[in-house]
Amino acid sequence: MSTNAGPVYAGDEINALVLDPGTYTTRIGYSGDDFPKTIVPSLYAKDEDNSIHFDASLDYAKTKRQVLPILKDSLIEDWEGAVAQYRHYFDDVLKVDYEEQPILITEPVWGTTEYRQKLIETFYEEFNFPALYLAKTPSCVSFQQGRLTCLVVDIGHDSVSVTPVVDGICLLRNLMKTHYAGLFLNDQIKDTLVSSFSKLDLSPTYKIKTKTAVEYPLAAQYVARDLPESITESYDQTQQRRIFTEAKELLLETPEKRLNSSNAQQAAAYKEELKKEENERTMEAPLGQVFNTCLERFAWADLLFDPASYPFKDQSLADKYLPNSGELSLSSPYDDYRPIKRARKGETGPATPTPAPDSADPNKIRGLSQLVNHAISNIDIDLRTAIASTIIVTGGSSMIPQLNDRLNAELLSANPALKIKIHASGTSLERTTQAWMGGSVLASLGTFHQMWVSKAEYEEAGAERILTQRFR
Amino acid sequence: MSANDVLDVLNVQRDDLTQPAKKKARSEAAPAPKSGISRELYNLIGANTPPILVNMGNNRMKDRKLRVSPWTKMPFVPNERAGKAPTLHHWEKGAKELLMETSKDKPYYFDKFVVSVDIPEMVDEELFNQFMVEIKERQKQMAQKFKTSLHNKVEAQKANPLGASSALTVKKEDAPTVVKEEPTKDDSVKEASGETPLVSSNGKEPTELADQQETEAENKPLEAIDAMDVDEEEASGPLPWTYEETKLLFEFCKNFELKWFVINDRFPLKYGRSLEDLKEQFYAMCLMIMTHKSIGNPSLIDSLKAFLKPAEIERKHYLLNLLKRTPSEIAEESLLVIEARRFEIAAKKMLMERANLLSLLDLPQAALSVQQYQSSQGLGNLYSQLMIMDKNQRKKSQQKVLQMASDPVPPPIPVAASSLHKRDFQTHLQQYLSGYLKQQPQRPEDSAIQQLLSKKLTAKEEEAYGLFYHANERINPGVILRSTQRLSGLQQRQSVFRAVNNMLQELDIPTAGGTAWKPNMPTRKTMAKYDELTKAVVALLEVKKVKDKLEAEIELIKSQRELR
Repeated sequence: MSTNAGPVYAGDEINALVLDPGTYTTRIGYSGDDFPKTIVPSLYAKDEDNSIHFDASLDYAKTKRQVLPILKDSLIEDWEGAVAQYRHYFDDVLKVDYEEQPILITEPVWGTTEYRQKLIETFYEEFNFPALYLAKTPSCVSFQQGRLTCLVVDIGHDSVSVTPVVDGICLLRNLMKTHYAGLFLNDQIKDTLVSSFSKLDLSPTYKIKTKTAVEYPLAAQYVARDLPESITESYDQTQQRRIFTEAKELLLETPEKRLNSSNAQQAAAYKEELKKEENERTMEAPLGQVFNTCLERFAWADLLFDPASYPFKDQSLADKYLPNSGELSLSSPYDDYRPIKRARKGETGPATPTPAPDSADPNKIRGLSQLVNHAISNIDIDLRTAIASTIIVTGGSSMIPQLNDRLNAELLSANPALKIKIHASGTSLERTTQAWMGGSVLASLGTFHQMWVSKAEYEEAGAERILTQRFR
Repeated sequence: MSANDVLDVLNVQRDDLTQPAKKKARSEAAPAPKSGISRELYNLIGANTPPILVNMGNNRMKDRKLRVSPWTKMPFVPNERAGKAPTLHHWEKGAKELLMETSKDKPYYFDKFVVSVDIPEMVDEELFNQFMVEIKERQKQMAQKFKTSLHNKVEAQKANPLGASSALTVKKEDAPTVVKEEPTKDDSVKEASGETPLVSSNGKEPTELADQQETEAENKPLEAIDAMDVDEEEASGPLPWTYEETKLLFEFCKNFELKWFVINDRFPLKYGRSLEDLKEQFYAMCLMIMTHKSIGNPSLIDSLKAFLKPAEIERKHYLLNLLKRTPSEIAEESLLVIEARRFEIAAKKMLMERANLLSLLDLPQAALSVQQYQSSQGLGNLYSQLMIMDKNQRKKSQQKVLQMASDPVPPPIPVAASSLHKRDFQTHLQQYLSGYLKQQPQRPEDSAIQQLLSKKLTAKEEEAYGLFYHANERINPGVILRSTQRLSGLQQRQSVFRAVNNMLQELDIPTAGGTAWKPNMPTRKTMAKYDELTKAVVALLEVKKVKDKLEAEIELIKSQRELR
């Protein structure tokens, strides 16, 4: 036992690994640290000869080199790439001693039982960790903020999710999730740039040797680089993604209210008001064309709140995003089978309505504040005030300026009787790594160490029992 | 040159004895050879060692540095009892051998935090079925009771048509206030129940809620009751709790430490139970098990008994309505709350004042029993007490009289003395005093003057006695001589005064001379006349001045016309 473990600081460092795989970046580090050791994009480069590369290789243009995503929707899709990536960073970068360190892995709330089982089994088989633990991302966020009962609004790359957390445990049935997040913004920005800035060349940086800055309507003046033959589409796409990321970081600003409100006259007036010169921002495309945006940049940010008002002009993109109300027909891991008989209508009574997946209008599109609002109104009344006064906004896409103000204003107007309070950490690095930090806090607590599950226990108790009782 | 030399030069006596011998010995024992600037500095400081301990390179530090305490990476197994726990490693202070020795059969330090909630064990199926029958019986009874209480309330309202109608009108007028009363209550209720699920005060809620119901619109309770009927039929009809389900519920309660929201979230959907269903079944079953095994403390059992699902659902209904308020309602409500608080404060103030007043009355305490006064000693005590009280009171009244006497007001004038038309001008004080006099008509110390005053006087007599009622005049405290009295007519400018004085001299009216110009004999009548005279003279002078001015103007205009 550790003699120096004081009663207040209940920590006991065991140097556990904390792995927080996200769709955009993956965070890996040691527990007890305040920041992950490595933050890397969740991508891997695959060459013609099936060899897999990481780090700088991702950006190196090579014949037939594919750059592939590992995760989709915060779930690991490409297991081969995932294992290769983790092995690379565990062995080559962090030099992990597997025998001595357990690993804590964060997982999204919407992972299916099969997925979780596969995750655990893969880790037990591929790596020789003595024990592991699956922590739900919203729980980790709540631990990082030190607020054990809260509503975690995670505006990430692939998805926006709203999860109530009670005493550090996520409520699965009140989970809401849409895909109106970072990637959606990327596609919208691309859509707008292609349609309204038709002369803008969106070639990524790797194609250019030298360039001269010109005002937008003029054609780009640049010297192209000599490139190897047959650059893959996936590589090009990955490189192009940077333009949109930059655009998001540089340009976006959330307008105070909806740009397309039901009152057309008012909306037009507000748009006019935004079209001032002081609201204009310029950005330089990789080829040196400097273009000017004003209303567009507000519209992009408005997207998250009102996705229904901005249909894609490109049909292929529109097909990619089906209308999404955020309600999930999620069966909790505790439901081994769907209800056989649903003899009773209104299965929960009036006081505790759980979102009934089948009753939801599939065509309803929910923006960010509607999503949060819906989540709040679905929570048990006894819990609602506590949840509404601790709304934690996290995720990289939440860093759009004024996003929190807008969210707060809309929630307040929707729930005048509730005390709404939004908590968001100030630094951008914290927003993107909040879940990892929470995992780091958890894994360094002395009281947490009894939660680790060893391979022996997993094999003895069985996947189902471990998943429902230990990794809850 | 050392400090000693300096002191010698300055002729300062040095007392060697003041320095403890021990210190000396030590400094002698450690003669650190100094050189360069440090030696010079040391010499200046000399034997006057500073109060702080300067470490002169002792060996202590070296010793400490040499003894580095070892840290060892030790394996440990958290929660070993559970079995199959992984072996983890952490750093511990101490040598490896020592730690190996001590930590052999010690549990992990944080194992003591591994706790679970105390939930009664689930019984076997046979007993369960038996319990279920009983539970159903009891629930029916309770629901019936709850319903009838609701019905009674509604009926009572209806039975009294006058009251009901008046209540209705009141409701229409005071609707906001009625609605407003609830929220604060509800909040407290919610907090109370939200925090402690098992030992919650659920038992008190039904009554409270029933009270609130009265304030709701009339048809509302009936609706609620009807809804409850349907609800109940449903609950008791198609899906009674099976043994497996209840067993699962108990398992969930243990696993999730009675966090009801989580239990409700995780409980399989196929059973279709609401949070209230779960609570009801669990509490009822716990109650049965506890009474069967006769465990658990009575207060816990009581609170378990008090849980009532319809009441809980009702409570949530009200909470929901509470959250549905519009901003204007909220604003109105807060205004009302402020107003209510103001009333409260005012009422408190009034009570305080009343209490003060009561204490002023100094009544002997009648609340005490008479028994203590029955003995002779008690009687003596009572007598002395009364005497003291009496004395105090007399002292107080005397003080009052003294105060009155010291006040520079004219002697009290009885009401009888003043004629009717003058009564209006009586000051409050006079009224009070006359009342006071009336109350004690046969006081022995009544003076001759007062007796005289109490008689009715004619105008002539008043004049003869020099009596005068200052009706609206402001009278300054203290004694004033009439000769120094400031007459209103004399409040003029200096130049006007001079003119007035000249005029008086011309008319041969005697004045006191000097700057006072007062009559020689300043009786009230003379003074009044004199005042009148001065005013007239001043007015006359004014008129003359204006006349002169006008005449001059006329002259001027005339001369101008002539010039033309």
